[in-house]
Amino acid sequence: MLPPSVLGPGVTIQGTLEVEGELVISGTVAGHIAALRLVIASDGCVEGDVVAREVVIAGRLIGRVFAPTVSVEASADIEGRIFHTDATVAQGARIVGRMPWRPVSYFETLDQLPEIRP
Amino acid sequence: MTLFTRGDKSADKPVEVTRSDKPVETSLRPAAESIAAKPVEPQKPAAVSQPSPPPAKTGASMASVISKALKITGQLESTEDIQIDGEIEGDVRGVGVKIGQNAKVKGTVYGDEVELAGTIEGKIESKKVTLTGTARMTGDIVHQDIRIESGAYISGNLKPEFGKSEARPSLKPVASVQPAHANASAGGAAEAARH
Repeated sequence: MLPPSVLGPGVTIQGTLEVEGELVISGTVAGHIAALRLVIASDGCVEGDVVAREVVIAGRLIGRVFAPTVSVEASADIEGRIFHTDATVAQGARIVGRMPWRPVSYFETLDQLPEIRP
Repeated sequence: MTLFTRGDKSADKPVEVTRSDKPVETSLRPAAESIAAKPVEPQKPAAVSQPSPPPAKTGASMASVISKALKITGQLESTEDIQIDGEIEGDVRGVGVKIGQNAKVKGTVYGDEVELAGTIEGKIESKKVTLTGTARMTGDIVHQDIRIESGAYISGNLKPEFGKSEARPSLKPVASVQPAHANASAGGAAEAARH
């Protein structure tokens, strides 16, 4: 497998990110992210929707997550929704929002993200 | 007392030096200087001087990498060195920007130091520019200091004007002098009319 992409703490991206591999974010990203595996490090900040097979969140996220496997670390600070099949949430994590469960088939057929409903 | 503390201080310094191996002692000073400027380059000295500046070392290891599999559409800004091997559509602003052989950037790359081994369609604005033999540059390069290796493809203009963009607006006041002349000549004409 390819080496993971790393966005350091000094990096700010505005726009769409598409990775056919692993992405580690310690910086700030505003926009849509699609990856196989996404890690939001404890000093990382993401604003936008995330689509991945596996997501590990230890930092700040404002937006939605669409991933069958989700792991929320204790240092996480999340505002939004986490669509998941299999999720772990560590004690101490701050989650404002909902965590809807979906079957794995939901993610396999996920071509377009659903509209945001209030 | 003062003697005592002096003795302590002088005792401290040799301890630090002896920690980082006597033979490398000469290379330590340039390493310490260059760590502040470019943390990536001096790998061996950095490993030797590990005990004294650990933050510099972690900074180097945290350097951002945009790997082959990553495609970014949008703007990228970085306050640290960055290695790009993927594809970017949009502007890149960094300090030290290295663009790898398989990388593609469509947009402007701003930086203090840009090293290009891949493809850029757009523009480079950087103090120091290096184009390696595999570089493919379509667009203008605004630089202060440039190095081009044989084999590099460049289609565009090279402008050694980096940092001189402020000099250009001075043309406008010169142009605005003309109306003043016109006024003066008009005044002269009025004077002539009086006579």
